[in-house]
Amino acid sequence: MKRSLAISPDFIDEAELINARSASDGMGAVIYFSGIVRAQEGDSTISALDYEAFQQMAERQFELIFDAIEKKWPIESIRLIHRTGVVKVNESSLWVEVIAPHRGEAFEACQWLIDEMKRTVTIWKKPVE
Amino acid sequence: MTITVQFFSYFKDLTGIDELTRDVPDGCTLGKLHDDLCAEYSKLQEMSRATLLAVGVDYQPREFVLSDGDVVSLFPPVQGG
Repeated sequence: MKRSLAISPDFIDEAELINARSASDGMGAVIYFSGIVRAQEGDSTISALDYEAFQQMAERQFELIFDAIEKKWPIESIRLIHRTGVVKVNESSLWVEVIAPHRGEAFEACQWLIDEMKRTVTIWKKPVE
Repeated sequence: MTITVQFFSYFKDLTGIDELTRDVPDGCTLGKLHDDLCAEYSKLQEMSRATLLAVGVDYQPREFVLSDGDVVSLFPPVQGG
């Protein structure tokens, strides 16, 4: 399974990422997920979220998740980007692409990846008002 | 043995520091070090049951026996996405 991982303060250019898609002829499903910063955080209105990562551990935990996905589903590739630092409302903080032969395994793997990320990957956020 | 301890997220605010070092006896476990830090920093004690513990870049159980030079990290539940 091909993997591409970036944990970075750089803006996520979704159009550029989609243009860079690479899938072999046998792949019938491409799932994109983009997590967007909302203006509402609990009862407060915010302007951004400030993300902090324990970078080396976050990379390690993502790799463990990718290892597990490779064993569970026939995924051809995953690309994942998670922002750090200040991410404004309406901007993407998380972007994921999963490519697989069929939609079932692509949706399942993408859902599971994000659930696991929220359980183990060492990234935190705090609201910016 | 000398152990480095790192704090992340609002645990840095609870302790007022990012990092510290501790000399611990041979055989010291991760749980014992955590208990000692909770005794030293009362605000950490309030979060002790929700605290996640890692050594290096891996989660470890409280029974994990520390080695000289280990880097221990304490942090609250993660919030990626």
